Amino acid sequence: MKRHLGTGLDRLDLRRSAAAVALLTAASVALTGCGRDDDKSAGGEAQSDAIAEGEAKGEIEVWAMGTEGEMLEEFSAAFEDANPDADVKVTAIPWESAHDKIAGAIASGETPDVSLIGTTWMGEFAEAGGLMPTPEGLVDEADFFPGAWGSTEVGGTSYGVPWYVETRVLYYRSDIAAEAGWDEAPQTWDDLKQFATDLEEKGGAEFGLNLQPGQTGSWQSVMPFAWSNGVELTNEDGTEYTIDSPEMVEALDFYTSFFKDGLSAERILDPGELESGFADGSYGSFISGPWHTGLVEDAGLSQDEYAVAPLPGPDSAPGASFVGGGDLAVFQDSDNSDAAWKYVQWLSEAETQQAFYDEVGDLPAVESAWETGELAEDPQLQVFGEQLGSAVSPPSVPTWEEVAGAIDSLVEQASKGATSSEDAVSQMQQQASSIGTGL
Amino acid sequence: MARSGPTKTRHVDPTRRQQAVAAWVLALPFMALFLVFTAGPVLASLGMSFTDLRSVDIRNPLAVEFVGLDNYTKLIGDPLFRKVTFNTTLYLVLGVPLTMGFALAIAVGLNRITRLRGFFRVGFYLPVVTSIVAVSVVWKFLLREEGGLFNTVLGWVGVDGPGWLDDTSTALPTLVVMAVWRNFGTLMVIFLAGLQTVPRELMEAAEADGASAWGRFRHITLPLLRPTLLFGAVITSIGYLQFFEEAYVMTKGGPLDSTRSITFFTYDQWGYGNYAYASAAAYLLFIAIMLLTLLQFRLLREKD
Repeated sequence: MKRHLGTGLDRLDLRRSAAAVALLTAASVALTGCGRDDDKSAGGEAQSDAIAEGEAKGEIEVWAMGTEGEMLEEFSAAFEDANPDADVKVTAIPWESAHDKIAGAIASGETPDVSLIGTTWMGEFAEAGGLMPTPEGLVDEADFFPGAWGSTEVGGTSYGVPWYVETRVLYYRSDIAAEAGWDEAPQTWDDLKQFATDLEEKGGAEFGLNLQPGQTGSWQSVMPFAWSNGVELTNEDGTEYTIDSPEMVEALDFYTSFFKDGLSAERILDPGELESGFADGSYGSFISGPWHTGLVEDAGLSQDEYAVAPLPGPDSAPGASFVGGGDLAVFQDSDNSDAAWKYVQWLSEAETQQAFYDEVGDLPAVESAWETGELAEDPQLQVFGEQLGSAVSPPSVPTWEEVAGAIDSLVEQASKGATSSEDAVSQMQQQASSIGTGL
Repeated sequence: MARSGPTKTRHVDPTRRQQAVAAWVLALPFMALFLVFTAGPVLASLGMSFTDLRSVDIRNPLAVEFVGLDNYTKLIGDPLFRKVTFNTTLYLVLGVPLTMGFALAIAVGLNRITRLRGFFRVGFYLPVVTSIVAVSVVWKFLLREEGGLFNTVLGWVGVDGPGWLDDTSTALPTLVVMAVWRNFGTLMVIFLAGLQTVPRELMEAAEADGASAWGRFRHITLPLLRPTLLFGAVITSIGYLQFFEEAYVMTKGGPLDSTRSITFFTYDQWGYGNYAYASAAAYLLFIAIMLLTLLQFRLLREKD
């Protein structure tokens, strides 16, 4: 039928990559007796040897997605000036196909030297044996936001360097909040509840705080509450999920109480609905990342009408938040890994990070890059900077996306009152345990 | 020599031979592409479905365990897979008869009128060529709980409409309605072509014998249309069993997985890197499509 021909780009991609992987495994029909090699697991692997001194030489092939991909080649001219024998070649690839493209490259051994890797993919690609452990002494772990560094560590070994970050904060209508008697942002969970209630009752908002009632990505709003409450999703070496805990139940209970009390809408909003609703005062506040400053200003709000604040913790702010973004990794199959790591090192220097922020607007993963310039002066950016200090990355294990999917669907059930928080959390644990961390 | 009569020489006509060579040469590029990019992956994914291959194994795809039918038994026990199977079946059972019935009714109607037939034909066919993404955005607006066209109209007659896509009991039927609207055009065109092959003389003769309109439709049109109906049923069922885009764009499979389909499930599993498990799910769907098609051929084939 016609409908299956022209549409569904994603599915076409899916089919194409399915075909690619299927091809690679074609012979496995006959050879499945080979069996698994148990000691090839990531983690426990030593960091790579330190790279040689001196300038980078040769061609460095880089893959990057989104705006980064478009801007990086030109931006790297400064690196090429300092290393005249090096030539940085950037290939921009779209985010939508990046995961499969990198997976395909790792499978075939035809990888670039360096790539931008979404933080939640690190576990999978490292476990697949595609990424090279970060060399000893390349960068200092302490220079980076701890959550961002955490995303590079798979089973205790670091497989890359954080490049840029994003984190979630509380957006609220400061003018409506002032009317409702709030001159500053809520600091504790109790505050947050009262704040949302007041925005509704005194400020006239339809919903005090918009939270995502489950579905894709809702774990990114739920987990900050859980992390603030002391939840650890896996054990130390990432071999077991440890989701079921009284803290997790308490956090989910708190999260879902906003739906039960009518402070959050129980349905998924359409694209653009949140921004326009925030602008006309029907949504008093919401939790989101740095991209939303632009979106709410496009919807017609000025910085006098809305504000951002670190997320409240159970007892004090800032609580934990989610940290996402991108890491830079060098592939095992890179034939110029020394120069590649030098390039990564250069990109993670504080000055480079600051310059990259000026050029592209990506928030630096290096803490000291926030100490001068616009990043230090802009009060809104400072909120993000402060929040990043206590932001946590999800476990870097190969199965995280699948477990996150399970969590999303159970968050939906709990938000809609179809299950209790206790049951939802114990089912999260049950599903996560049966999936396993994959390490 | 026992052989008698004119001996058959194995002489091959040189032109024929050349033609055969040319045919093979011309067919070769397609054959090669087909074997490498279609038959190969299809067989490989079948093999894959009997292993525990995951995305982390891509560097050593051969170093996986053979697990027999484990993926299949796990699927059958997976509550989510059962749910998506139920959803897909419901979509099929509601969608196929509705689409066919609607298409047939419109086709019969259009076959009667002569004025404006082209206009209506284009109008009814139009949804088929629209982009699902554009259509779904518009439908989402129409279906909004507050201020949506459907609920506004229902409000005029005093009915308080629900949030069609936000309720687990209405979301799937709503998608079925949208699918019927979007897909009946293709069948309508096919049925219209089928209706035009029904001989006029037969109809006139029946009319002269006093057969009612319904009687003529029931005993002349429908039997003559049988092959066309079979074709329609098969392609619609195959399409509906693979339903994905509507749910992906409109509801993301929610609320509470009530619009998640088997294809959607497979897509998710593939995304999670469970290549073997996803392949097994795809093969179960493939088997279902095969069985259903066979069944339809059986039920609707020409009765001698």
